[in-house]
Amino acid sequence: MNPQPIVGPEAEKTPELKSPDNAASVFQPHSFPLYRFFLEVTLLTKFTARYFKEVLKPPYEFNELIRQCYLIGYKSFPLVSVTGFIMGLVLTIQSRPTLAEFGAESWLPAMVAVSIIREIGPVITALIFAGKVGSGIGAELASMKVTEQIDAMEVSGMNPFKYIVVTRIAAATIMLPALVVIADTISLYGAYIGVNLKGDVNVHLFLSQVFEKLAFIDVLPALIKTLFFGFSVGLIGCYKGYNSNKGTEGVGEAANASVVYASLMIFIIDMIAVQITSFMM
Amino acid sequence: MKKAGNKIRLGIFVSISVALFIAAIYFIGQRQQLFGTTFRISGIFKDISGLQAGNNVRFSGINVGTVEDIEQITDTTVRVYMVIDGRTQKFIKNNAKAAIGSDGLMGNKIVIITPGSGIAKEIADNEVIQTAIPVNMDDIFAKLKVTSDNAATMTGDLAAIMGTMRSGKGTIGMLLMDTVFSQNLTDALINIKQGAGGFQQNMEAAKHNFFLKGFFKKKDKDINTKK
Repeated sequence: MNPQPIVGPEAEKTPELKSPDNAASVFQPHSFPLYRFFLEVTLLTKFTARYFKEVLKPPYEFNELIRQCYLIGYKSFPLVSVTGFIMGLVLTIQSRPTLAEFGAESWLPAMVAVSIIREIGPVITALIFAGKVGSGIGAELASMKVTEQIDAMEVSGMNPFKYIVVTRIAAATIMLPALVVIADTISLYGAYIGVNLKGDVNVHLFLSQVFEKLAFIDVLPALIKTLFFGFSVGLIGCYKGYNSNKGTEGVGEAANASVVYASLMIFIIDMIAVQITSFMM
Repeated sequence: MKKAGNKIRLGIFVSISVALFIAAIYFIGQRQQLFGTTFRISGIFKDISGLQAGNNVRFSGINVGTVEDIEQITDTTVRVYMVIDGRTQKFIKNNAKAAIGSDGLMGNKIVIITPGSGIAKEIADNEVIQTAIPVNMDDIFAKLKVTSDNAATMTGDLAAIMGTMRSGKGTIGMLLMDTVFSQNLTDALINIKQGAGGFQQNMEAAKHNFFLKGFFKKKDKDINTKK
């Protein structure tokens, strides 16, 4: 099995790593998956550090940021809404028989609300977001790289990182929490319809039961973790797209890798967030 | 033009999400008595049965506050601080009692305040409310165990009695299981019935006897006088 060539800025600095054939014969560290993993972590860390450096440094690309917010956030709204509605409806319908066995159907709104707001809403919305936005960013940036648009921007004196990467990551970080709030609300509406398919609960009672069991510890950590979800989706999409240099094949790879790694990161962040929240409780 | 339209759509979208978030925070805060006038009281309990900060405080069946903090005072006493809605202060008298209860069979623990007498003064801010020993589920189970043990003993004894009766021992056992005994008993009853009939005839004859007629007449006269 031929070792994969190293891509990205690190490969530019170390030509012997760029192609395995040029390597100094016996020991080829880049052929080891663990080496490649740590190299990738290092490059991603550098990329993240560069993002934080560029995001604070003027000039700020506000117009591009707003445009990206519109494309990333507003354009994802229909997909997230439909998903949220179905999520609330299905969760309610599926939970009802179990609660009915205990004669605890009146707990249905509270149980569904806590599940949606604490966990299911943020995670499912972030996964949908990763699928739509993460892949889009990865493919877009990879195709810009392949068609040398990024190089052209550099030549024309622009800072492509600031214009392309910073705005997209910031937009993803800002817009995902907004999408999650709306998705949660629509999910609760779906849950309300689900409750009323076999019951008779008016809106006022439903909302009373929902807010009866909700506390700040349910809402605030859930919203804070969506900031990290959004940041990781934007960061990984941009990283994979910005460092793609395998021609048209690389565009597909970047889009695919963006979704896979962003989804994985969402679960890892969620696991950490749950641990922190449990500790706080 | 299109760009301006996009900005407006984005603005509406973000505004709606921020408004929904603020509304959620407001409703949760309102439930936790963050936005209205409140007062604090505390109660000292021996056992709080797993009560936690954030649990509801109920007065006359209405949720009027939440448990703010729980503090261990000594090895046998725990102090529970409660934040109560200011509108209910005039109804809670200083001889009201707080007890730890449960919201349904499987629900969260709650503090239940039972109203005091009408003549007492209303409870003041930071006052210590009297507490009642709650009905502990462990006590109920202990009593239930004693009852079930007694029931087991009784059913054991009953089974032994039934066994004795089935073997035909004792009067009832003989009555139920011994056919000769029951036949004798039936015969005896028939004899008693016949004897009673004969006795009645004799008594009627005695009433009409010359020597005893006066005695019976006197007896009838006494009965009529009493009436």
